Amino acid sequence: MSITVRVPTALRVYCDDAPVLKLQAPSVRAALDDLERTHPPLYRSVCDETGTVRRHVNLFVNKTHVRDLQGLDTPLSEGDVVTILPAVSGG
Amino acid sequence: MEQRVILCIGTKKGVFVAESSTDRESFSLRGPFAPGVAVYAALIDTRAEPRIYASSCNAFFGMKVLRSTDLGATFEETRQAPAFPKEDGRALANIWSLEAGDEEHDLWCGVEPASLFRSGDAGDSWDLVNGISNHPHARQWQPGNGGLCLHTIVRDGNRVHLGISTGGHYLSEDGGETFAASNDGIGAGFEPDPFPEYGQCVHKIARHPDAPGRLYIQNHGGWPDSPGIGVLRSDDHGRTWTSIAEGLPSDFGFPIVVHPRDPDVVYVLPLEPMTRTCPDGAPAVWRSEDAGRGWGRLDRGLPGERSYFTVLRDGMAIDDVAEPALYFGTTTGQVWIGRDGGERWDCLFDALPPVNCVKVAAV
Repeated sequence: MSITVRVPTALRVYCDDAPVLKLQAPSVRAALDDLERTHPPLYRSVCDETGTVRRHVNLFVNKTHVRDLQGLDTPLSEGDVVTILPAVSGG
Repeated sequence: MEQRVILCIGTKKGVFVAESSTDRESFSLRGPFAPGVAVYAALIDTRAEPRIYASSCNAFFGMKVLRSTDLGATFEETRQAPAFPKEDGRALANIWSLEAGDEEHDLWCGVEPASLFRSGDAGDSWDLVNGISNHPHARQWQPGNGGLCLHTIVRDGNRVHLGISTGGHYLSEDGGETFAASNDGIGAGFEPDPFPEYGQCVHKIARHPDAPGRLYIQNHGGWPDSPGIGVLRSDDHGRTWTSIAEGLPSDFGFPIVVHPRDPDVVYVLPLEPMTRTCPDGAPAVWRSEDAGRGWGRLDRGLPGERSYFTVLRDGMAIDDVAEPALYFGTTTGQVWIGRDGGERWDCLFDALPPVNCVKVAAV
């Protein structure tokens, strides 16, 4: 199941400046597991040590936020795009 | 022979490094590094070739530890930041303290939720210190306004003193393997029991190597029904504590600093307890020259009115050059220098982001 992960600019330092990563994953959780193995600093920037996606990070499958799908258990299909985006917040 | 004085200034929007010759007449400024990201802890490590460490609390992407090997010309992330084991269930929320350990690359790190980590490789990997992080009291501590943080690590040979808000003072006498609450005399004005075994909101702890057994604490004071619990001294390695607040305009404050060559000289920066700002809008550092038996006001050069900033727990430091200078950073983004031990104050920088911490070293 080949899918694409889009990496925000701020996190590309952890993947040799690559804007996208291609990997095999049947679900969002599996995609994150893959990142934990292959790009640990990138994974730690997306998830805390309990495996929870950080509060101000949003994950989308194609154009839909995973909270409106099945969360981390959202299944992925061939060609899906998982986008990591920082939330609109600050101060 | 020291040639330069280095200031490391952690702010709400990154870390800055200021540098001066040892005359401290003028400081250059570089940074911000980790721009836009809050930095609560810093360490200028002078044990060997100087290194600067800083925590970086990224609200989006989590905690990082930054390291500079060129006196703050550049910073890089260490390989890993402290992290709880997955099965622990806790997640790192902030890094509040970085201190040097025994060996050249040993570091100690206090975090939120209140726990302690150690590194043996200059911050590239970290181990949780179970003696305090999984202490039987640990799940009973409550967060103060700044969060549940282990913010102070004071090492004295095999003794290790920790400050936890709100957990109180914990003492190890076996090099950090085991810890016990040691709060006899430290009050908690927000508890029904004004002197509980633990749970105090200790703000900062300081010691001087030339006065074995003596420690100073700035505790959370400012309680009308519990006067004098805010500034304390111990003469028995932190087993018992006695108020030294008499003579201060307020026993509420955050930092407490000891003179580098005279353990009887101690500095605090009293704040109005309800607003946590300068009393009457007129900031002043207060100095005791007799270990807290009496206090005098140091305000020459500081604003005499309309100044309502806060100086946070790590926001004041003193260098160890001849005629030491004090430094404090404010939540309004100013950094002040008090030359001649705080006798003459000048503003070094007046428009930085809100300052969380100020560290200084001569290198």
